[in-house]
Amino acid sequence: MAMVREIVRNRYLYALALPGLLFLVVFAYVPMAGHLIAFKKYRLADGLWGSKWAGFDNFKFFFMSSDWYKVTLNTILLNGLFIVCGLCIALALAIFLNEVHSRLYQKIAQSFIFLPYFISWLVVSMMVFAFLNTTDGIVNRMLQSNGLEARNWYLMPGIWPAVLTVIYVWKFAGYYSIIFLAAITGISGEYYESARIDGATRFQQIIHITIPLIRNVLIVLGLLGVGRIFYGDFGMIYGIVGDTAPLYPTTDVIDTYSYRALRQLGDFSKSSAVVLYQSVMGLVTIVLFNAVARKIDKDSSLF
Amino acid sequence: MENSMQRVRHLKTVKAKNDRSLSEKTFVGFIYAFTGLFALICFLPFWLVAINSFAAESAIKRHGYQLIPKVFSLDAYRFLFHGRQVVSSYGVSLTVTVAGTVLAVLITAMYAYVLAHPKVKYRNVLAFLTYFTMIFGAGLVGFYILIANWLHLKDTLWALILPYLLNPFFAFIMVSFFRTLPYEINEAATVDGASDWTIFFRIIFPISKPVVATVALFYALQYWNDFFLALMFIDNYKLHPLQMMIRQLISNINISAYVGGNTAYTRPLPTYGVQLATVCVTIGPLIFLYPFIQKYFVKGITIGALKG
Repeated sequence: MAMVREIVRNRYLYALALPGLLFLVVFAYVPMAGHLIAFKKYRLADGLWGSKWAGFDNFKFFFMSSDWYKVTLNTILLNGLFIVCGLCIALALAIFLNEVHSRLYQKIAQSFIFLPYFISWLVVSMMVFAFLNTTDGIVNRMLQSNGLEARNWYLMPGIWPAVLTVIYVWKFAGYYSIIFLAAITGISGEYYESARIDGATRFQQIIHITIPLIRNVLIVLGLLGVGRIFYGDFGMIYGIVGDTAPLYPTTDVIDTYSYRALRQLGDFSKSSAVVLYQSVMGLVTIVLFNAVARKIDKDSSLF
Repeated sequence: MENSMQRVRHLKTVKAKNDRSLSEKTFVGFIYAFTGLFALICFLPFWLVAINSFAAESAIKRHGYQLIPKVFSLDAYRFLFHGRQVVSSYGVSLTVTVAGTVLAVLITAMYAYVLAHPKVKYRNVLAFLTYFTMIFGAGLVGFYILIANWLHLKDTLWALILPYLLNPFFAFIMVSFFRTLPYEINEAATVDGASDWTIFFRIIFPISKPVVATVALFYALQYWNDFFLALMFIDNYKLHPLQMMIRQLISNINISAYVGGNTAYTRPLPTYGVQLATVCVTIGPLIFLYPFIQKYFVKGITIGALKG
């Protein structure tokens, strides 16, 4: 009753929130019913509610196959590489850019480094193709002009974790370096001044002042990344690797696997089991690592 | 004797200073080299794509991609604009981006305002409902069934617009901004007889321009660059956005029929050229606007990081 009274009293305010709330209900909460399909033998004709229950059969299939282990490992490994390499290089860039005295140089360099953030994964994939395609790719042409043999990179799964990491760093180093730069700019100039008076070199100032003072930012960003380690970047992986089956052994992540199960195999139940597995693991890791992040730094953790 | 000792000491300090300034110089040099090289690597693919889209197809086939092509040609663009696909894809991308951004900003701002409003007793409940969607996903299957089977939005532009109307992350960025606004504005306006809607639309929204612009640009970028929704829900090539057009060109179905429609094209098809040219027209507007919009994104990322 109190609730109704409150809503009636502030009905115009609640009305402002209505479209947003409606959106969340329809597009975020209603589809959660889709998780039920993981426990059903889904048939399109029978629909979600009409299909027969299957208990844990879908999960059994998924976990008994080697796919389970492969896609989970790929997801964690790739995300791990992205987090570590992405954050380290972004940190180095931010520290170095901060040491540059020419404002103009700083601005121009930052603009270039931030640029890749703005393009879609399909544009990236086109660029990757320009470098790595077998017949006319830049890399192969360079190899050939040095008397080496051209390689079919799209048939070599072994190199792709490295390739994808390079691409990730290329695209997101600018993004993360902006966060680090903001943190570095927040450090009081007095620290550096007194260090200079004591005769510290610039390198020593970085090691003993800059890095310790933004360590928390680094740790929190790392923890937030680890919290989302079960979520592969579908746009990235599918945009770049697409349906190149020879690369699946090292690049197939949970997201691309469940997408193919759904859209190419039409196996709703299997896809749903994979997705539920991911959602639950994701929930656990996010809550866990956010809590740790909040412990370290109350202000910069995710809410 | 004493004198010479002093001399030695003096020489030692000079040497140390020189050493230091030398290592300092090396360090500065390294800093410029590292950042400069990285910036160059970031820019290089853009240059290669742009300049080679003007290269003759035969030149790419013979020499590969060049930093400066040997033979220039407008064939790729001529072919691209000869056909109808690029025009219709541009139309789709533009419509979705503009309509989506306007709707999304409006809905997000209204929603965030309520979440930030001290008079709203259930704002924390709403905030939790919003937060929960960030940590527990509905997942692909439910989402697909919702759009395709329940809302019947397959092969409509709504499938490209509706799913991104409220991003919880952007909503929270706006909430934290609205919280910084002095509540006295609200009280003064109420005393003057303004309703909650008037206060929001006539006062709060206009003075929130900086955060509105930032969030709007993030939404616009997301709509412009997205291919996931089109991949899932758009089979009709007439409704393919630009990103989807790029994908079709990569996965290489019959390019001539796809790009050109029924238009007869007698010369050999510039396959690479068309791919590169399509990329250029897709990222063209972004590159063109980049100098003006960059600072909003920098600001958004900084607020997001401090808050989120």
